[in-house]
Amino acid sequence: MKLRNIFIFGLVVILILVFAGIGLAIDKVKVIMVTDTAGLGDKSFNDSVWAGIEKAKKDLGIEAKVIESREMADYVPNLTGAIKDGANIVIGVGYLMIDALAEVAPKYPDTKFIFIDAAVDSPNVAGCIFNEQEIGFLSGAFMGMMTKTGTVGWVGGMFIPPVERFEVGVRAGLLTVNALCNTDVEIKIGYVGSFEDVPKAKSMTLTQMGQGADIVFAGGGTNTLGIFEAAKEKGEGFYAIGVDQDQDYIQPGSILTSAMKRVDVAVYKLIEDYIKEEFKGGIHSMGLEGDFLSLSPMNYTKHLVPYHVFGVLEALREAVVKGKIKLPTSQDELKEFKAPVSLVF
Amino acid sequence: MESKEKKWTIILNPLLALIFGLTVGAIFLIFTKKNPFQVYLLILQGSLGSKYFISETLIKATPLILAGLGLAVGFRGGLFNIGAEGQLLVGAFIAALVGFKASHLPPLFHILLALGAACLGGALWAALAGWLKAKRGVHEVISTIMLNYIAIYITNYLVRGPFKSGYLPKTPLILSSAKLPLLLPNTRLSIGIVLALTLAYLMYRLLEQTVFGYELKAVGFNSQAAEYAGINQIRMIILTMGLSGALAGLAGGVEILGLHHRFYGQFSPGYGFDSIAVALLGKNNPLGVVFAALLFAAMRTGAMYMQRIMQVSTDIVLILQAAIIFFIAIEFSFKFWMTQRRKV
Repeated sequence: MKLRNIFIFGLVVILILVFAGIGLAIDKVKVIMVTDTAGLGDKSFNDSVWAGIEKAKKDLGIEAKVIESREMADYVPNLTGAIKDGANIVIGVGYLMIDALAEVAPKYPDTKFIFIDAAVDSPNVAGCIFNEQEIGFLSGAFMGMMTKTGTVGWVGGMFIPPVERFEVGVRAGLLTVNALCNTDVEIKIGYVGSFEDVPKAKSMTLTQMGQGADIVFAGGGTNTLGIFEAAKEKGEGFYAIGVDQDQDYIQPGSILTSAMKRVDVAVYKLIEDYIKEEFKGGIHSMGLEGDFLSLSPMNYTKHLVPYHVFGVLEALREAVVKGKIKLPTSQDELKEFKAPVSLVF
Repeated sequence: MESKEKKWTIILNPLLALIFGLTVGAIFLIFTKKNPFQVYLLILQGSLGSKYFISETLIKATPLILAGLGLAVGFRGGLFNIGAEGQLLVGAFIAALVGFKASHLPPLFHILLALGAACLGGALWAALAGWLKAKRGVHEVISTIMLNYIAIYITNYLVRGPFKSGYLPKTPLILSSAKLPLLLPNTRLSIGIVLALTLAYLMYRLLEQTVFGYELKAVGFNSQAAEYAGINQIRMIILTMGLSGALAGLAGGVEILGLHHRFYGQFSPGYGFDSIAVALLGKNNPLGVVFAALLFAAMRTGAMYMQRIMQVSTDIVLILQAAIIFFIAIEFSFKFWMTQRRKV
């Protein structure tokens, strides 16, 4: 009799422990990130995504892990491995991972996937597409108001859709400022043809600056380093605009501001959606609304910017967010873009 | 007596290097407050612990075996071919090109055509360096390194320019008639591994049991003596280099037709450079190359699993590899020290 009591008591204890264990396991959402071959520490997408996950870990109490890929052949096994490790959400980074993701995701409909900068045709994959034209627009308007020479520059990496959206945004921003302030700011356009050709980006920037451009937008990749170099070499009165992340710190004073794609904010939001059971697959457009795109806080250059410029930028931001200005997303749409003639919408 | 001892050391030396390498790795792990035994156990589990892991290990070993064989052949012939990466890229790109351009072909023929073209591409790319050495005396280390860069940039240009699909640096998918059949269902393992192992055996036969192999080694031992003995050095240099490049090109072709199914700008993490280490570790012996490639592949596949479980960076495997290669290299002085002592 006594032995039986002990046995039942033991059984109850074990059951409680088991349920508590399951309870804990269910409580924590497990997020696993699979990096591309650049890995953590790339000061780019991988680090931004990880920053978003870290924030979610702190604020939302998720469990987070990272799997770094050494080579392209690792993508499929790493994505599959993340699923086998019980991930609720798998976050893939790097545009060359898209084929691997398209192969793996449909096989595991219960796992959710987040992918940056591209979409995959599977209901469990949320693809974050940034409306680069919106932040390009603000940057362009900013450049138009800040230029002293009446000429600005654009040095892009490769002419691919996200970069094109950036470029037409910048041009739309310039057109808007020209219409509003009755100025005639010109823009020099150049493409390096690659994202990693620092010397060519530098010489292209120096050429544009020689032709009178005093502010040059750095359109992506490690090219930006060459563009910043050029702005520094030209010295006072010449500036670059950083891109993707807050790059102002790279060469304090030479970089007027950075057009930031807040990948970390986007990742955080999608994780939050999952926890609220509002996760949706398909394309997620990330724009100025919700601060997925924003200009950097200008920690080193704020004193150079007249106060009214911030006012105009804020008004333009509002107008874009509220849909009062329809921004072009391609060269063809740019031709039909009608710049607003007043800030009162 | 002496040859028996030599045979023994051929196995003993790499084994010692492996043990020393693991010890060095363990020291690093202890510094980072991880249990080395647990790490090594997980690497072992993650590389050989299940059918799936074994298949992944064999996938990673395939290009290393093929390119490693190419380099071993070159080294035996006295040619230090550093250009496997370039030859591999050229082979891979050509295989992809034949894979998606040549349509309406029966599968077997399509595969053979694509792999043959990959071999030829790699062979010509390497023979260029061989020709420069034979005719102009340009050292093959310099020329093959330079040819690597040329191959990297040309393939990069082609995949970003004329042959890109969509806006990413990748070619279109190869046709299904060019895809290598799978060896095991539900894995990604293609028959490429069978091809690699067969070629390892054939290379062994070639080097040990044919006139060509004998001539090749003779040039490698002492090129002037070989010339004196009537071996045409110029012909041998170009042929050896060509064979070396053909195998590296094939490594690239098999990787594309068997695994990626299209050429990506960055598909190779440096197989060509890793295979230098593979050839050295395998003592330039085709069968040794197979074992060395399997070891490297197992460590890498296992490291991925270990990383998932323990969140230790896979860089630890690079340290292991480097330490093993280091001990292979100093083994020569170790041997020297042993014989010196015996003399005393």
